Amino acid sequence: MVDGICYVSLTVNLQGMSVDRALNGTDPAKHFGGKAHGRYMASVGAERMFGLFRDMKLSTTVFVPGWEAEQHSDLVRAIAAEGHEIAALGYAHEDYTGAPEDAALLARTHGILTDLTGTKPLGWRAPTGVLQPETLAEVAKLGYAYDASNQDDDFPYRLDADGGAGMIELPQTEMLIDAELYSRRATHQKLMKWWREEFMAAYEERCYMQITVTPRADFGSARASRIAVLRDFLTEITALPDVRLGTCKDAMDAIAKGDLFCRD
Amino acid sequence: MSYQLDSGLMGRTHDWPGGKRCVATITIDFDGDCREVGRGETPLGKTSHGRYSAKCGIPRYLDLCDEVGIKATFFVPGYDAEQSPDLVREIVARGHEVAAHGYLHEGWDPGEQEPELLKKSHDILTPLIGHPPRGWRSPGGSKTEVTMRTLIDLGYVYDSSEKDYDLPFTAHGPADRQNKLITLPNNVSSLDDYPFYRVSYTPPSEVLQQWIEEWEAIRAENGFFDLTVHPRIGYGSGSPARVDVVRKLVRHMQASGDVTFCTLEQLADWCIERRDSFTRDWPRENVGGAAHG
Repeated sequence: MVDGICYVSLTVNLQGMSVDRALNGTDPAKHFGGKAHGRYMASVGAERMFGLFRDMKLSTTVFVPGWEAEQHSDLVRAIAAEGHEIAALGYAHEDYTGAPEDAALLARTHGILTDLTGTKPLGWRAPTGVLQPETLAEVAKLGYAYDASNQDDDFPYRLDADGGAGMIELPQTEMLIDAELYSRRATHQKLMKWWREEFMAAYEERCYMQITVTPRADFGSARASRIAVLRDFLTEITALPDVRLGTCKDAMDAIAKGDLFCRD
Repeated sequence: MSYQLDSGLMGRTHDWPGGKRCVATITIDFDGDCREVGRGETPLGKTSHGRYSAKCGIPRYLDLCDEVGIKATFFVPGYDAEQSPDLVREIVARGHEVAAHGYLHEGWDPGEQEPELLKKSHDILTPLIGHPPRGWRSPGGSKTEVTMRTLIDLGYVYDSSEKDYDLPFTAHGPADRQNKLITLPNNVSSLDDYPFYRVSYTPPSEVLQQWIEEWEAIRAENGFFDLTVHPRIGYGSGSPARVDVVRKLVRHMQASGDVTFCTLEQLADWCIERRDSFTRDWPRENVGGAAHG
């Protein structure tokens, strides 16, 4: 058992139809049924999920694809107005392979989010989890302070060696990403068991953790039953001594103050 | 209508048939060996699961419905109806709804063939039911504008294939048809047997717990509960242990005193009489694309 604060970042991937369009094509005449799960985000999911956060007085970091911000600008503005941090999640669920056109997409999304919220986003995450050192170099050029795509450490670390000059990695915790379990059709019971076991063991070591949830019904946490699960989990962990649940920016501030360890 | 949830958030709900807090539908997708035949497989050995439906699963569900006193909706693919016409007649005779579910469980986009296939199954089911089927569910979960136009032109009143909303609603398109289908969503991520028995291989008792939790969350929102089961072996809920999960679930829901069970057709008729209250806020949701016009 280690003493000290356990820093946890609560993050949301605001993924609606950008995912379904990437997987099933962009023809709206076919966006029905199983090819339109993503519409749940804007119809029900975001409202219910951010209602939970409002109710629990929690601030989160919301990773927003540029395309979703264009489609749902009022929603993104409303989320930002409630005190959530807006960060970037690619443009429309694309892989970042180091291709020449990547830089333009990164800049485009950066512009969309900056215009929408009046603030430059500090954080970036690869929408499909695929990125290259060249991607981090472009992200660094745009002035981002952190990336939250990697899943390879118990603590934040400096990204200079990986292409992100001056940037910090706030790593995701793979098993605390709801999509990993719900996309494999885990029951609520199974997800809670995984999350409790993974969280408690990392908490004992005061590791940095990131929880990632998505306001969808299929691979996300937005169905009423899954919101209840998320509420139970967040209630449990916030009741633990020394847990500080906040945004990614909160974690960056803690690093700047020397309160949260960051690997060089 | 809007109302305040137990959590303090605002929710949406409706008055439901039967005057209870919630409405529930148990839907049974027949899915016999049409699925294997449609894929060019021989329904023997490890691809024989579909044959369980007609022999064991459907009879078991008919008895269960009598036992717990509910009427269900059976989605029957045209090919399965051709193979088991007497069984389809018995489903109808015992007071249940029979609705359409493709011909060979086309889990792919049938393209230009689709109107013809929909008509074919329609014509197979009509004499067995005694009137044309009024509801349809996509066999693979997907559909297109062509599907919707064809269904409307054949006289269907509801579709049960959407996954993007929790409550019944009036469909948005197609723009060139005045009649709009009532959509009774089926949430296949959580209230379907396939994901748990075949994707995550979850034991029946834990599936029961999952569905009870789904019900309790929907009950707290005064909502619509639609369960999709398949009377097959394998990915379905045809076997004794799994039918027992549905029995215990229905008993649990009935014990709450908060639910009316009905068929999808009965629920669709209820919605049609109150069509204006079942519209969605399409501009806010911004579903995008002229095709939804």
